[in-house]
Amino acid sequence: MSRTISIEPVTRIEGHARITLQLADTGEVEDAKFHLTQFRGFEKFCEGRPYREMPALTARTCGICPVSHLLASNKACDDLLAVTIPPTAEKLRRVMNLAQLLQSHALSFFHLSSPDLLLGWDSDPKDRNIFGVMRTEPQLAKNGIRLRQVGQTIIETLGGKKIHPTWVVPGGVNEALTVEKRDSMLAMLPEALEIAKDTYAFFKTLVPKFKDEASHFGTMKTMFLSLVSPQGHLEHYDGFLRLKDASGRIVEDKVPPRDYPRIIGEAVEDFSYMKFPYYKPLGYPKGIYRVGPLARLNNADACGTPFADVALAEFRTLQDDAGPITSSFHYHYARLVEIIFAIESMQRLLKDPNILDTRVRARARGNRSEGLGVSEAPRGTLMHHYKIDDEGLITWVDLIIATGHNNLAMNRSIKEVADAYVDGTDVKEGMLNRVEAVIRCYDPCLSCASHAFGQMPMVIDIHNADGEVVRRISRD
Amino acid sequence: MHTLIIGYGSPIRGDDAVGPLLADRIAEQAAQGDWPDHTEVQARHILTAEIVADLEQATRVIFIDAAADTAAGEVRTLPLRPDPTALSTMAHFHDPRELLAWCEGLYGRAPEAWLVSVGGAAWDYGHFDLSPAVHAALPAAMAAVRTICALAAENTTRTHQRPTS
Repeated sequence: MSRTISIEPVTRIEGHARITLQLADTGEVEDAKFHLTQFRGFEKFCEGRPYREMPALTARTCGICPVSHLLASNKACDDLLAVTIPPTAEKLRRVMNLAQLLQSHALSFFHLSSPDLLLGWDSDPKDRNIFGVMRTEPQLAKNGIRLRQVGQTIIETLGGKKIHPTWVVPGGVNEALTVEKRDSMLAMLPEALEIAKDTYAFFKTLVPKFKDEASHFGTMKTMFLSLVSPQGHLEHYDGFLRLKDASGRIVEDKVPPRDYPRIIGEAVEDFSYMKFPYYKPLGYPKGIYRVGPLARLNNADACGTPFADVALAEFRTLQDDAGPITSSFHYHYARLVEIIFAIESMQRLLKDPNILDTRVRARARGNRSEGLGVSEAPRGTLMHHYKIDDEGLITWVDLIIATGHNNLAMNRSIKEVADAYVDGTDVKEGMLNRVEAVIRCYDPCLSCASHAFGQMPMVIDIHNADGEVVRRISRD
Repeated sequence: MHTLIIGYGSPIRGDDAVGPLLADRIAEQAAQGDWPDHTEVQARHILTAEIVADLEQATRVIFIDAAADTAAGEVRTLPLRPDPTALSTMAHFHDPRELLAWCEGLYGRAPEAWLVSVGGAAWDYGHFDLSPAVHAALPAAMAAVRTICALAAENTTRTHQRPTS
C-alpha cells in the first residue's frame, strides 16, 4: 500500500512550503515534491502601474531581501531610461547590495541552519532551535546578531531605513554619501571581518563531521548559473551571465543579461505556485541548474579580495575530484566565503576616494519600451523584466526569482535525501528533519517566490492509498 | 537609564501602521526636547534578530504594535516577559517576547519590557490610512507610552533615593 508523508510547513526557512514524500509498499520513497503553497501574483497586479513605482512595489515582495528587489528593479528602470548611471552611484549600490548579502547570509547560517549544524539532525526538536544554539555556542549566536546588525546598519545608513529603503532610484541614488556616514560604516567592518573569519575557521572544523550529509544533500549533476564580472570574478551587481556544467565546462559565457530569454525558459507544474526555470537549449526538466552562493563560487575564477580568495581555494578542495562542488550541503560553506568577500569588498569600495562624489544620479524620461535588470541576490540570480507603453505604464512583468531558479534542484535534492535517510516503515523525526535541512541549504525565500503570513504548526501526515491519514506527527 | 521605544508594523496595511507612525511622532517630539532624555526611538516594519543587540543596551523597552484581538481603537498596556516558547517558524519577523528571551539567554539580562497596543479594524494591503477608530486612539496610545516612561522614571528616582542599609 503506497503512502504519502507531508511535511508542512517546512520550518526555519523564509516563507511557507510543504514537502510530500510518496512511499511505496516497501517503505521506499517513490517520489518527493516541494510545494510552494501560497500565491501572490506580483507580476499581474503590477500591470498598469507607472514604471517608476516598480522599485517600491517589488521591494515589498520581501521583508528579508527588499534591497535585492530594489536593485534589480532600479536596474530595469535604468534600462527603460536608457541611461548609464554615474560610477559613484554604482559603487554605492554595490555597497548596499553587499550589506544585504551580509545580513541575509548571517541570518541563514547563524540562526536558521546552525541548530542542525551544531546540535545535530537527530537532536530533540525541542532544543534544536536558536535557544539550543545559545546554550551550546553563545558567542556564535552573538556573532550572528552582530553581523546582521552591521549589515542592517549599513543599509539604514545608506538608505535611511533598514527595511524598504527608497534611496536607490532609477538613474542612480538620490543622495551622495557624506564623510561621516562613510566613516561610521568603515568603522564597523574590521570587527565584522574578524567575526566572519573566526566563524569560517570554526565551520571548517565542523565540515568533516558532515561527510555523510555532504554526500547525500543534493549531489546531483547540474549546471550552475550566476553573474560573473567581465574578468570572470565573483560578481553580485552587474557583469555577464555564466553557465557551467557539473564537469566544469563553461556552457555559456559573457551572456549579456539582456539575452537571458535565449537561455532561460520557465515551466510550471500543477503542484506548486513557484515556477520552474530551466536552461532552454536542454529543455525541461533536463536543463536543471542551481544558483546562489554555491553556483557563484563554482563559476567564479576568483573572488578578487585577499581572505575570500584563500577561502575560495579551500572551498575548491571540499571534493576529491576536480570541477565544481556539487553537494548542496556546501551552500553553507559558500555562504561564509561570501560573507568574507562582502566585508572585504565594502571596505575596498568605501575607501575609494570617489565614493564621496556628489554626481550620483542620471536623469531621463522613459526612452525604451522594455527594460531588464539582473543582479545577484543572496540566494541567487534575480531578474526583473518590464515592458511599458507610451505613457510609461507597465504592460508586462516577468520576475525570475533566485529561489525559483533552484526549484528543480530543490525537488531533486529532497528526493535524494529521502532515498538516503527516510525509512517508510519507521519514520523518525530526524529523518524528516534532514529532508527539511536540505531545503535550508538553499535558504529559499518563498516570500519572494510567493508570500505567506501567519504561522502554521508543522504537521506530518502519512496517508494510505485511499487518502486516509494513518499516522500524524505534529510539532508547534 | 536608557529607554528604547520600538513601533512596528507595515506602513501599507492600514491600521498595522499605527506602531511605526507613533514611533515617528515620538521621535519628532524627542528631537524637540519634549520627551525624557535617553530615549531612543525606532520605527520598524518588522522585528528582526539584530534588535537583540539593541535590547541588550536598554534599561527599558516599550513595543508599540497594532492588535487584532481587541476592539478597534482600544489601547492596551501589557508588561512583557521573555518567552522562549514564542518561537517563529520564519525569520521574517519575531515576537517581542522571543527577542527578550534571546537577550536574556545571550546576555544574562533582558530589559523591563512593555507592549502598548492599539486595536485595529482594517488591515488591507495597499492602504496607507488609519481607520477612524485607530486614528482617534492615537492620543491615548501616546499617553500610554508617556505614562510608562513617567512611572519608570519615578521608580528609578525612588530606587536611587533609597538609603542603603
